[in-house]
Amino acid sequence: MVFTSVNFILFFAAVIVLYFSAPLKWRWLVLLVASYFFYINIKPVFAILLAAVTASTYVFTRLMDQTRKESRKNVYKVINIILVLLPLFFFKYFAVINNSLIAGLQGWGIHWPLPEIELFLPVGISFYTFMAIGYTIDVFNEETPAEKHPGIVALFISFFPLILSGPIERAGNMLPQFRNPVNPDYDKVVKGLRFMLWGFFMKLVVADRIGIYVDAVYHNIPNHNGTTLLAAFFLYPFQVYADLGGYSLVAIGVAGILGIKVMDNFRRPFFAATMAEFWRRWHMSLITWLTDYVYTPISFALRQYKLWGIVYSLMITFMISGIWHAASLTFVAWGLLQGIYLSVEALTNKQRANMEKKYKLANRGWYIFLSCLITFILFGISQVFARSANLQDAFQVLGKIVTEPGALFIGAPSILIFSILGISMVMLKDFTDEYYPGRFLLFENRNKPVRVMAYSLVIVLILLIGVFDGGEFIYFQF
Amino acid sequence: MERATVIEQLTPVFRKIFNAPELEITDEMTANDVEGWDSLSHMLLIADVETAFSIKFKLKELNKMRNVGDMIEIILSKA
Repeated sequence: MVFTSVNFILFFAAVIVLYFSAPLKWRWLVLLVASYFFYINIKPVFAILLAAVTASTYVFTRLMDQTRKESRKNVYKVINIILVLLPLFFFKYFAVINNSLIAGLQGWGIHWPLPEIELFLPVGISFYTFMAIGYTIDVFNEETPAEKHPGIVALFISFFPLILSGPIERAGNMLPQFRNPVNPDYDKVVKGLRFMLWGFFMKLVVADRIGIYVDAVYHNIPNHNGTTLLAAFFLYPFQVYADLGGYSLVAIGVAGILGIKVMDNFRRPFFAATMAEFWRRWHMSLITWLTDYVYTPISFALRQYKLWGIVYSLMITFMISGIWHAASLTFVAWGLLQGIYLSVEALTNKQRANMEKKYKLANRGWYIFLSCLITFILFGISQVFARSANLQDAFQVLGKIVTEPGALFIGAPSILIFSILGISMVMLKDFTDEYYPGRFLLFENRNKPVRVMAYSLVIVLILLIGVFDGGEFIYFQF
Repeated sequence: MERATVIEQLTPVFRKIFNAPELEITDEMTANDVEGWDSLSHMLLIADVETAFSIKFKLKELNKMRNVGDMIEIILSKA
């Protein structure tokens, strides 16, 4: 039951009615049942893992709460982190390790006893595992008290708007909201619906339309020239943004309608002038999670090495992020590139600041535009690795872009035209939000006719040119 | 150690890390108020503050620093 299905709309309508008609003290139960129903609907057996991760996290956070001894608390923390990571590791890496062992040992004439296997990753497992780990560490750090009510903890880890692809929320923000539900609020409902509408537009009109072109090109790299690959190069970052960004907006909107405020996941990422800024605007819930629970402990341990300690910590953090996306060399390269980009920036920060001061560049339009473009291209290069099936493909794409110009592959013209139309609308909205906040409003315009026109236009565009068989969200595979 | 002394010794550390020779620190100041104060420069700051006061922070204390005032309190509790 994905967000873009009719089933989801019916399910959500039923949840709204049940949720707001239930007495306040039972609201958590409505959401918990709804969340498990939503998840079981995808594949019942996966819900057992979800429940197990929840039970382990509940037990160990309670144990931590009842212990004064720091060392014992630490033991509980580590045990729970290992336990909840086991299923994620098994489903993500066991098949890869097993299958490489078969291939590797065969060369030595050794027979590996297990057959070649392929495992299906339980959808959402990364996201709820990260939330469970975050909660465990927060309780250890006394950032948030351990929740006594098992139902509230279970709801936090399984909350249906977030379970499939985030935003990866924090206990400190969510638990109090689940404990103290609110009554329906007209403004929140309207705001939530607006988020959902724009999210659907980003996913169905923009992401899935671009996806048709990008898939066609990447499935047949040898037969495409550099110009076509360059077009795919520029389109793919927009596809991922519209896909995960669109998903996130729907998730935030759905939660918002229920009166629950969820953190933002994207903040106009393509208006970032440096990679460091880009990562403060892109997939923010993941990057802040990584910053708090991976980067900070590592860089703290290495702080005596000053800048080099930071470089090393950045490398490790982004390698982990890459390998989390997939156990493949392409994602190792992806992580390595992010680490290199950020390290080079960190090492040249002072020089750049001095140069910008000396030539008064910071407020020049052309300089900002150029910086944003360079940032986009750097990110785009890393996304070639993310999108390619293997390293050879990725290098072939990059090589051809430089060496093999030619005529652009168009295919069905509507695909490129609608893609560019969709990207322009998303970027125009981001542009006005970035540089003219509070002006040129459409969804939030004070004039009702303008609002109605804007809603209608977006709805018509979704129905008219939305891609309804575009399949899953990209991040379901992670 | 006096609070004023801590501020006096802390100010040049901030000025050096954030490349801002005239920066004045206040209790309420957070990373949002200082250009270039991000998760990367934060750890450089922490390392230099430790050297300046000959102290060692714990990771838990680091997580509890919400603003410069918090940092000063933790320094005072150690130095």
